[in-house]
Amino acid sequence: MLSLFAKLFHALNSESSTRQISLAIALGFIVGLSPLLTLHNIAFLFVVLFLRVNIGGFILAWGFFKGLSYLLSSLIIMVGESLLTAESLQPLFDTLYQFSLFKLAHLHHTYTLGALVLGCLLAIPLYFLCNFLIEKYRIHIKAFFDKFRIVKALKASKFYSVYSQISGQGALS
Amino acid sequence: MSRFIRWQGLASFFVVIALIITFIYFFADSLVKKGIESSGEWYLGAEVNVSDVEITYTPLTINIEGFQATDPEKPTHNLVSFSKASAGVDVWQYLFGKIYISELNIIALRIDQPRATAGEVYTASDDGIEEGTVAADESALPKLDMSLPKVDDLLNNSDLLTIKHGKALAQSYQTEKKKLNDIYEKLPNKNSLVSYNEKIKALGNTKIKTLADIEKLNKEFKALKKQFKVDQAIVKQAKQQVTASKELLSKQTKALKNAPNADWKNIESKYQLEKVDGADFAHLLFGEQAREYFGYADTVYQTIAPLVKSSKVDKEAKASTGGGRFIHFYDETPIPDVLIEQANFSLILPQGEFAINGKELTHQHWVRGNKSIVEVKSNNVQGSGELTLALDFSLDQNHVLKSEGKWQLAEVGLKDVSLQESSAFKLKLNSGLLSGNGTFSLLDDQLDSENKLNLDNTKYTGTGTSHLSRLFIDTVQSLKTLALTIKAKGKITDPSLSVSSPLDNQLKKSMMKQVSNKLTGFKTDVKKGLNSKLTEALGLSSEGEQSFVDVESLINDTDKALDNLMNSDVVKAKKKEFEDKQKKKLEDEVKKKLGKLFG
Repeated sequence: MLSLFAKLFHALNSESSTRQISLAIALGFIVGLSPLLTLHNIAFLFVVLFLRVNIGGFILAWGFFKGLSYLLSSLIIMVGESLLTAESLQPLFDTLYQFSLFKLAHLHHTYTLGALVLGCLLAIPLYFLCNFLIEKYRIHIKAFFDKFRIVKALKASKFYSVYSQISGQGALS
Repeated sequence: MSRFIRWQGLASFFVVIALIITFIYFFADSLVKKGIESSGEWYLGAEVNVSDVEITYTPLTINIEGFQATDPEKPTHNLVSFSKASAGVDVWQYLFGKIYISELNIIALRIDQPRATAGEVYTASDDGIEEGTVAADESALPKLDMSLPKVDDLLNNSDLLTIKHGKALAQSYQTEKKKLNDIYEKLPNKNSLVSYNEKIKALGNTKIKTLADIEKLNKEFKALKKQFKVDQAIVKQAKQQVTASKELLSKQTKALKNAPNADWKNIESKYQLEKVDGADFAHLLFGEQAREYFGYADTVYQTIAPLVKSSKVDKEAKASTGGGRFIHFYDETPIPDVLIEQANFSLILPQGEFAINGKELTHQHWVRGNKSIVEVKSNNVQGSGELTLALDFSLDQNHVLKSEGKWQLAEVGLKDVSLQESSAFKLKLNSGLLSGNGTFSLLDDQLDSENKLNLDNTKYTGTGTSHLSRLFIDTVQSLKTLALTIKAKGKITDPSLSVSSPLDNQLKKSMMKQVSNKLTGFKTDVKKGLNSKLTEALGLSSEGEQSFVDVESLINDTDKALDNLMNSDVVKAKKKEFEDKQKKKLEDEVKKKLGKLFG
């Protein structure tokens, strides 16, 4: 876990693209909200591994949003329920239901569909928000936090030594 | 391109997928085992154990060994257990969110078996549901638990009407007798009447010479008449008293004569002797047994009911649950959420081994329009008895449960079946052969069932503390065959049972035959005693009645004599005699004077 955090911090502090990190967090958000073993999660996992997305950021975001999904479960189910039972969407779902892939993906399940739709919708603003925040972090926040004694104390901690080993540097750049 | 694509990621993806598949492949057994245990524990609220789970993949079959589900009401026993089960699951349908089991086999399914160690219970049990049945058992035989009293004790009971009326009659007789004696003393006696006659005679012999003599005679006669009137008033009073006394004693005698019958009726009622004729023997003997068997049906229903109930509120309830739900759309070949196409159980009970076959088992019958069908067969019920049971059930879209079925039983040997177990009356069926058939239907929770049973070659033992209960046992013991019709109607949780049988008449006849000798003896003794008391009391009454007749006769004679005396015309006669005499005297004088004149 420590190494994961260290990787994330390294990515945040390195010259890695902010979009890679933001995309990792957004994808972690979508996968985190959904049930673990679903077809679309496997697809997103493929995307994460195949595209140059920050894996550490993805795993941490996945874990974090998995925890958050328990708090959001009623909202997720409500979204899925309202979509699957909406009269206007019945013809669409009737058609989709004839495809095995639709059923295999459990998109006729209120939680799965709700999580996917809510995840995909919120992932877009989350992506841009993360982009904005990482840039701000790199410019202002990092320098600001470096002044604190607690940060200096952290630099003397075990976490920092792990971080240093991973980043291959003796100090934060 | 390589700026965006991570080619080694492709390999990583396949490695991850392979790892997942490998994990599932190697740990699927443990995962399913854990899943069965935890979901079973969640549903039952008590420990569920599975010894081993094995999954084979071509075709996908789950094999379960050593399943035990603790009874939350009795943790030392399993609610249900089986040694082996296998379920052929359609993987494709499972991945679509449906459980479609083509064939389910459960071997050596047992109910209520003791556990090696007591299971854990996670929910508080609901005690006291069955309370009250013990009390009902105890009160099942109040009618026959009453013992007959001793005849002497009964006859000495001061509450008997015969005794009460006898005493009242004797007391009235004494009172009236005293009243009559008092009045008898006042009545003019024979001497008085003789004296009156003599006085009248003396007045009749009085020589009348002058008018003054007549006047004197009249005066004396009036004085006598006055005396007569006084005596007549006494006689009248005596007559009234006699009439009143006669009426009173006659009324009380009548009541006394009716008293023994009234007493017998009261005795019959108090000691329930008339109930013997109208007792519902069949219900008395087999009602609790029947209720116990319908209790099993209730248990099954109570187990199924929550499933039915949950499907009733399917849409509303599941929307609010944490897991969400599958929503199925139009399908050319629809399949229910859960479907067991074919199920075969071998159920082992203390009564025997039962082969249960089920077809189309589901809770959504409207999806395919087929009913669930269950068949139960056994050829070793209680030894060599045969049972066949066929039932179907279905839930419609309004989630109303409908079920119909019929059963047949033949040559089932019964041993040591307790029929009655109360403090004063115990009856056990030691052996017998049971056969029968029946039908039942269930609409929602309303049961309608009719069952016919025949018991042959029966042997009973029993003990009773009362005379009647012992007689009852004797009678039942003398019966070799019994036929019963048990009807159950109403809510399955508490159906109203009617147990009828030619047994009722059979028992009534047999019992009445046995009872009649004792009862007739008792009745004869009681009635004899009552009649003796009646005769005794009536003896007093007839003695008094004779004396009343004597007194009445005397009064009538006296009244008549006084009347005669009153109507005696002694004064008138004397007056006429005097007038005739004076007339003759005048005629003689006139003749004499005329003779002289003409002569």
